[in-house]
Amino acid sequence: MSTTTIQPDAPTPASADPAPGLDYAGPVAEKPFSGQGYQLPTWPFRVPPEIADGSRHGRHPVVVVGAGLAGLTAACELALRGIPAIVLDEDDTVGVRGASSRGICYAQKSLEVFRRLGIFDRVAAKGVRWSVGRTLAGNDVVYSFDLSNTASPEGSRQPPFINLQQFYVEWFLAERAMELGHVDLRWKSRVVGVTQDDDSVTLQVDTPAGRYAVQADWVIDATGIHSPIRNAFGLQTHAAAGVDRWCISDVRFRSRPPIERWTWVEAPFNENRAVWQHLMADDVWRLDYQMEPDADPEHVSRAEVVAERLRRQFGDGVEYELVWVGPYAYRSHLLDTFRHDRVLFIGDCAHVMSPFGARGGNSGIQDADNLVWKLALVLEGRASPALLDSYHDERREGAIQNITITNRTARFLSPRSPAERMIRNAIVSLAREFPFAQPLVNTGRLSSANTYSGSCLVLGRGAGRSIQNVAIDAPAGDLAGLLEGGGLRTMLFAADAAAARTLAACLSAGDAGRVSVTAWLLADDAQAPDAGAAANADADAALPVVRSPALARQLGLAAGEVAIVRPDLYHAGCLPATDAAARLARALDAGSGAAPHEQASTTTSAARRAVHAR
Amino acid sequence: MPADQPAMRTAPNIEDPDAFHARWVAAHEGLTEQQSFELNARLVLLLANQVGSAQVLAACIDAAAKPWRHGELQAPPA
Repeated sequence: MSTTTIQPDAPTPASADPAPGLDYAGPVAEKPFSGQGYQLPTWPFRVPPEIADGSRHGRHPVVVVGAGLAGLTAACELALRGIPAIVLDEDDTVGVRGASSRGICYAQKSLEVFRRLGIFDRVAAKGVRWSVGRTLAGNDVVYSFDLSNTASPEGSRQPPFINLQQFYVEWFLAERAMELGHVDLRWKSRVVGVTQDDDSVTLQVDTPAGRYAVQADWVIDATGIHSPIRNAFGLQTHAAAGVDRWCISDVRFRSRPPIERWTWVEAPFNENRAVWQHLMADDVWRLDYQMEPDADPEHVSRAEVVAERLRRQFGDGVEYELVWVGPYAYRSHLLDTFRHDRVLFIGDCAHVMSPFGARGGNSGIQDADNLVWKLALVLEGRASPALLDSYHDERREGAIQNITITNRTARFLSPRSPAERMIRNAIVSLAREFPFAQPLVNTGRLSSANTYSGSCLVLGRGAGRSIQNVAIDAPAGDLAGLLEGGGLRTMLFAADAAAARTLAACLSAGDAGRVSVTAWLLADDAQAPDAGAAANADADAALPVVRSPALARQLGLAAGEVAIVRPDLYHAGCLPATDAAARLARALDAGSGAAPHEQASTTTSAARRAVHAR
Repeated sequence: MPADQPAMRTAPNIEDPDAFHARWVAAHEGLTEQQSFELNARLVLLLANQVGSAQVLAACIDAAAKPWRHGELQAPPA
């Protein structure tokens, strides 16, 4: 086995092929048995000013703790908005040392976030696009799908999925944050204590140069499953450990297996237990084997045991290079509250689920994307801190959806009783013959953008749905570009010229209050009787015009309405043009409409006492 | 089969298949194997009454029994 030297931007040879993929993202064991893994980049520890000159350096608006997928996404979102932030990470590299290959599958919403953060092109060049998946039992394909059939030219500018080792994404995000500036990434900086009072949070940070304190208005905890900050505050998670054991083997073959994404419910070469087979960058395949429930992790990850599994799957002559091996058991947990006054929990510290469907990493990215634009408004004095409760409301609802869905897959793959196994046998055997049973075969429901039903930002019809990054007939090119050109502000789209005039008048009258928005007349040319009429409408328009039939379809505007699109490209609802700006202002101002956590915030002062992490 | 008789439906028709499966296996929690057999038999009878059509029920029974009939498809005794 040799060390794999990584060229971050070298194209992956197989990336041009419609390749199989993986619906895996989740925590794995911290101690992989073998494999030389990859060489990861490292960044130097620099003595922070607090230690260098011994002075206190005042308060920072935001400190992000943890430079994983969620933390680095937050860092880039903050940097894009010019918000000076500190990012603390206990390591000096990306990934987890040794266990360098974790999540590998990035879903469309994440890819759209990467587009806005400016790393999508790198991710697409390095990663593997895929669209075809097959589920097998024994030697039969019982279910297959092709996502390219559902990807409409009117849909997102980003593909349904790209597979890429997690550390590459973290690597690209870290470099992007440094490139954007504003964000100070501090490596080898471990948070060992946290205190909170009414108007700030103070972190104690251990470094190679000694310990120092840093004070912040807001702290984003992205430290992962074992969060010392969450534990220091004594916050409850509802945990359930899975009994199912799996073992990953990341492998590079001398001669490639056929490029297909295959998942077996019952693999004959794995004693009729489940197996995943999917391709990542650098021509590395992830093979993930379900083990006996009482399997010994040390044993199943030994090189000779891995070799025997590969021989059984691919035949005696298989030639390969082991890149990484890791046994794991999955678990799930959910934090009661994602906001603890001035501390906000994102990613695995708030929610952990089994890996099926790639919902872990993708939901951490969505957490950061949901939170940062709200935090920016609060920091600018344009929204009440109560708006941050909508982060809890929305992303906890999303986490519950993800945990429910992944638990169902876990249960399908690991029947708990003879009766459950009998039911699964019936489903699999009927699925071979009849299409109706195929949707019951559950080897993972792939990550999609969560829908929100109960927050203060559900303002009108259609609210709570993610809006795809569709093409816009304007110099911006796509919706993300339009957002960027408008300074990352909430966007208002008027359905017609009358709605545009009303909206413009409302905005002039100050209906939007402290909120800063951009406003457009959305022309759906498909509905315009002729080009001349559209041009006349433009000439009369009280607002600049953008054209996008795809956006009009997604927003579902009716005559006289205005649609509100949030900076995380979520729909906040279609409202009468007379109400839209004022309703948005009220929601951001007071978090009105749903503020159950405002009360909680004021009653947990006992929990604000000084506490120290281990 | 006459054209006006309903046919066995084989295209997907179950609303939210994963939720259905979850509810079905949850109903078996804590039961013995014998009790699970009985639960499934009761469930078949309840669902059969939703279907109603003798033609469709016969086709379903034949399809369900197929793996154990070694390919010989014979009409049930009249």
